[in-house]
Amino acid sequence: MGMTITEKIMASNSGRESVVPGQLVWADIHTVMTMDYLGKQTFRAFESLGAKQLFDKNRVICVSDHLVPPPTPEFATMLNEWRDVVHRYEIPHFYDLGRQGIAHQLMVEQGHVLPGRISIGTDSHANTYGAVGAVGNAVGVSDAAVAMATGKLWFRVPESVRFHVTGTWQPPVMAKDLSLHIMGMMHWNGHLIYKTLEFGGPAIEALGMAGRMTLCNMTVDLGAKNGIISPDAITQAYLSGRTEDVWSPLASDADAPYDAVYEVDVTNLGPMLSRPDKLDDTAPVEALAGTPFNKAFVGTCTNGRTEDFAIMASILRGRQVRRGVNLLCIPASTDVYLECLREGYVEALVAAGAAFETSSCGPCAGIHTGVAGDGDVILSAGNRNMKGRMGSRHAQIYLTSPAVVAASCITGVITDPRSDDWT
Amino acid sequence: MQSIIGKAWVAKGYVMSFDMILQRFWTAPVDPAENAKWVMAGVDEAFNREDGFKNMGYTFIVAGHNFAGGGKSIEHCITGLMGAGIQAVFATSFARLQFRNAINYGLPFITCKDMNLHCETGDELAYDPATGTIENRTRGTRFQSVPQAPFVAEVAAAGGLMNFIRQRISDGSVATLR
Repeated sequence: MGMTITEKIMASNSGRESVVPGQLVWADIHTVMTMDYLGKQTFRAFESLGAKQLFDKNRVICVSDHLVPPPTPEFATMLNEWRDVVHRYEIPHFYDLGRQGIAHQLMVEQGHVLPGRISIGTDSHANTYGAVGAVGNAVGVSDAAVAMATGKLWFRVPESVRFHVTGTWQPPVMAKDLSLHIMGMMHWNGHLIYKTLEFGGPAIEALGMAGRMTLCNMTVDLGAKNGIISPDAITQAYLSGRTEDVWSPLASDADAPYDAVYEVDVTNLGPMLSRPDKLDDTAPVEALAGTPFNKAFVGTCTNGRTEDFAIMASILRGRQVRRGVNLLCIPASTDVYLECLREGYVEALVAAGAAFETSSCGPCAGIHTGVAGDGDVILSAGNRNMKGRMGSRHAQIYLTSPAVVAASCITGVITDPRSDDWT
Repeated sequence: MQSIIGKAWVAKGYVMSFDMILQRFWTAPVDPAENAKWVMAGVDEAFNREDGFKNMGYTFIVAGHNFAGGGKSIEHCITGLMGAGIQAVFATSFARLQFRNAINYGLPFITCKDMNLHCETGDELAYDPATGTIENRTRGTRFQSVPQAPFVAEVAAAGGLMNFIRQRISDGSVATLR
């Protein structure tokens, strides 16, 4: 019996020839990410374990993303304490304000995750790392502390579900639309909980790294343990120059066992949204067209990449964000910000009436930089829309793609970017 | 091992981790006493006051699919429930992040399909950890849960993952974990 890519990774990183779903293993961890909000606690938990030192300080990646720039004196103090801890441990890979980014973007972009290895982070969207063929897993503070001390962590080998994605993408339809389509198709009714979601097929092979990151990122919101895409020539080109570490190609065996295989054809896939409060309450853009909103947001570890701002700029260049709508853009990292500046996307969007902020999780975590107030109706390219996610519990959040956000900002109502309503 | 007996709170929809501990109650670090005061505040308006859930005196939670879903990795949800007196949660399925945190803290998250459809808030339950059976004493019904993996019991017996690892670091056996 063959193995899926995730089973192979669980086996090779736990010194085994093979594993089966349900098996419990202690596996080697390639990198541990922790960030400003939980990092001090994570180091404190590590210290309480009695280990003499970190398993490898080069493989503990520290990021300031939730709290920068600090909006309150309390958060500023928390950040200072976080910086003290990171400096005390002489962590070489510390991404702090000025060289910052959202942790998951940095983990992939800076080469801290590797095909065939397991990386964990104390933030739920660590699933993003599957974009390069790694197992990326979100964990709590205790798990991260254990991995920092031992270089290992326990895992239950997950069952695998494959999404075989065929057809031809119809721009401006994006990976986000596929994520939301799958969300609506599968719901939160237990089908995907604990499982590994493997994406493959011609339409996945056609996706660039940005789209692959979006797709794997949102697998946590589908309830899955991880999302993963086999490394290929696109992965190789992306990682070249980002990491010196050696990796070998790997893929699922042809006879690997799957819990289920779903076929999705993207040829007829249109732009998708999630209605407020429940991620799995999805609808095609046609069903919601004409819905008014007053705030829009594009950023986050889900959709804050250069490709996302590129498509927005292609729609908004030479046009104007409608008065009465606030459009906020936050690049996922400093490198993304620089690339968007060089390509002229920032200029096009700012000229259209968008506001740009320095890289952080921003209002997606409801902490700072444009949080939601009572009565706000927000069109967001982020990942979550439960009550209170972006601030007030009396705000409504529609989730969608950057293309839908851009077209809708011109009209002030939810608009199909394929239509000529905004041109 | 003796049965645990107590009253249950039965969820009527998705229970999301985000509502279990509202963002303004994300203590740094986890603070079991403080987390217990505000746990479940966003799940039901009746619990949205200090000790609102804790004062109800529930021992169990019974839920449907994806208990504690919505994707938060914060351990506050678990320390909050434990501090509020919850000794086991029975659900058709659990969201992965909090399932893992529950195992790491030694709080039994027990898979028991559709039990939520046959229980009401306030029912008295008796849970036998040795056999995995749950008796609804109010209704005279019984449920059989899915057995937990031996590792889960081992971690719980050690007093949670942190103690489990502390012990192995101190006796030098941590390298043998595979």
